[in-house]
Amino acid sequence: MSVSAIVAEGLVKRYGDVTALDGVSFEVARGEVFGLLGPNGAGKTTTIKILTGLTKPTAGRAYVAGFDVVREAAEVKKRVGWVASEVIVDDELTAWENLEIQARLVGVGGWRERAAELLKYFGLLEAAGRPVGKFSTGMRKRLEVAMALLHGPEVLFMDEPTVGLDVGARVGLWEVVRQINRDFGVTVLLTTHYMEEAEELCRRVAIINRGRVVAVGSPDELKARYGVDVVELEVEGPVDAAALSAFGEVAIRDGVVVVKTHGAEEKLAEIVKAVNGVKSVRVKKASLDTVFINLTGASIEGEQVDVRKLYMRVRWARR
Amino acid sequence: MIAQTYALYKREVLKLFRSRYMWLMLVAQPLMWIVFFGNSLAGLPRGFLAQYFGVENYLAYILPGMISISMMSTGMFASMSLVFDKRVGYLKRVLTTPTPKSAVLLAKAAGAMTRGLLMVPIILAAGAALGVGYRVNPASLAAWLLALVLAGVGFASLFTLLTVNTADVHAPGVISNFITMPLMFTSTALFPRDFFPQWLKAISEVNPLTYVTELGRDALVYGAPPDPSALLYTAIFAAATLSMGVAAVEAKLTAD
Repeated sequence: MSVSAIVAEGLVKRYGDVTALDGVSFEVARGEVFGLLGPNGAGKTTTIKILTGLTKPTAGRAYVAGFDVVREAAEVKKRVGWVASEVIVDDELTAWENLEIQARLVGVGGWRERAAELLKYFGLLEAAGRPVGKFSTGMRKRLEVAMALLHGPEVLFMDEPTVGLDVGARVGLWEVVRQINRDFGVTVLLTTHYMEEAEELCRRVAIINRGRVVAVGSPDELKARYGVDVVELEVEGPVDAAALSAFGEVAIRDGVVVVKTHGAEEKLAEIVKAVNGVKSVRVKKASLDTVFINLTGASIEGEQVDVRKLYMRVRWARR
Repeated sequence: MIAQTYALYKREVLKLFRSRYMWLMLVAQPLMWIVFFGNSLAGLPRGFLAQYFGVENYLAYILPGMISISMMSTGMFASMSLVFDKRVGYLKRVLTTPTPKSAVLLAKAAGAMTRGLLMVPIILAAGAALGVGYRVNPASLAAWLLALVLAGVGFASLFTLLTVNTADVHAPGVISNFITMPLMFTSTALFPRDFFPQWLKAISEVNPLTYVTELGRDALVYGAPPDPSALLYTAIFAAATLSMGVAAVEAKLTAD
């Protein structure tokens, strides 16, 4: 038994030769919104599948709501809700029927009141009698969340909850996550590869790469530890790089001086003083994006170069 | 377990009743059998029919056979529906709830059985419209209906257990073909046993379709009392396939 909502201890999952998880450990406190961040294929979904009892770990242990996910899977399943990355609802049935079937599967007494409450809460009450296939993606997602909350779960798993949503629906769903965490006291574990989403929602995040947790902490902690602020100065005339290197790594190209540093706001005045002929100054604060790229080695630029090469090759081939 | 089986069964039935194509198939398939196959032997001499088939009208003879075949082949929809649920992810939704895997099988089998039973009145009404006179024995009728339920669940379990570990949409059709074709022609659903060579007779005697069909003929065509051993055999078949299905599903069924 444990007071934490989720405990993962050295989870390993192998599919044949492929190691999806290579010793994942983390802990989520009750009432927390926790994010699992990682590139595609890092093992986020596999972790959720183990924690919801959909698959068994090859090695390691995990406890959800105080129960062992392998030996007490039925107890775990009574206490968790699950929202898939792909919206999984039955399109041929109405919202109400989807809720009814879910309620009977999880065994909710008095589900009608609860379902009506949730439909109202998510603004779906008027659409309750319509087939879900005619809903917008945002509405279907809200229905899916409502279904996951029917039995008042202690822990809610959301696998890439805003994939495929437009900006409005995404912000709406963020609000929903904050509300259910606040109003129902539900612990939320969500996976995402949107840094912005993790910063908006999560008190703490774990960055996961190639089946391992490479960093855990609050977004601010991670930024302080692994992130870097960038100061860009547009200058006229020569620059004394040696004087600047006291602040951090310096690079100069085409009249632009780039200084990588920590706590850029405090140092900015001194940095500007150390350089002659500053025309303009730009400060880019550390973001989870930079942390993520530092830790996972993923490079968005690298991918763009590949795409350009590929495109040129395709054009060449067409001639 | 019961609540969850009910919930999933309700889903099957709701989806079934909402599909226009399902209704089209329910009505069109038996009619095609009756019109094309039922008339293929219309020219047989009356005396020959009476002697070997025990009827004056070949259509009367094959109606119970067609119903048995329909109960068997609709079993495929249980396995198709399960593969479909894997493909769209719905099975993940189900398996993240405390639902036992065997409830999934039971609901699918019951859904397919329901689909098969819906064809029964349609076939019988079409037969009556084409001049088949029924000689009903109430006890046999009850036994036959029970046998249809058992056969429906049994075949659905059999098809499902054979495709339990695949998400390949082609699997249910292929597997069911391997089973329905041989069973159809090695039973007495279409032709009487008297014409069969010895080896075919032997197969027809262990073929559950034979027993379901004969119960139907007693109930509707011959007006004879039911054969308890035929009902028992059908029950054993259903119990065996269902328990193998439960074991297979509990051991092998995964969400995707």
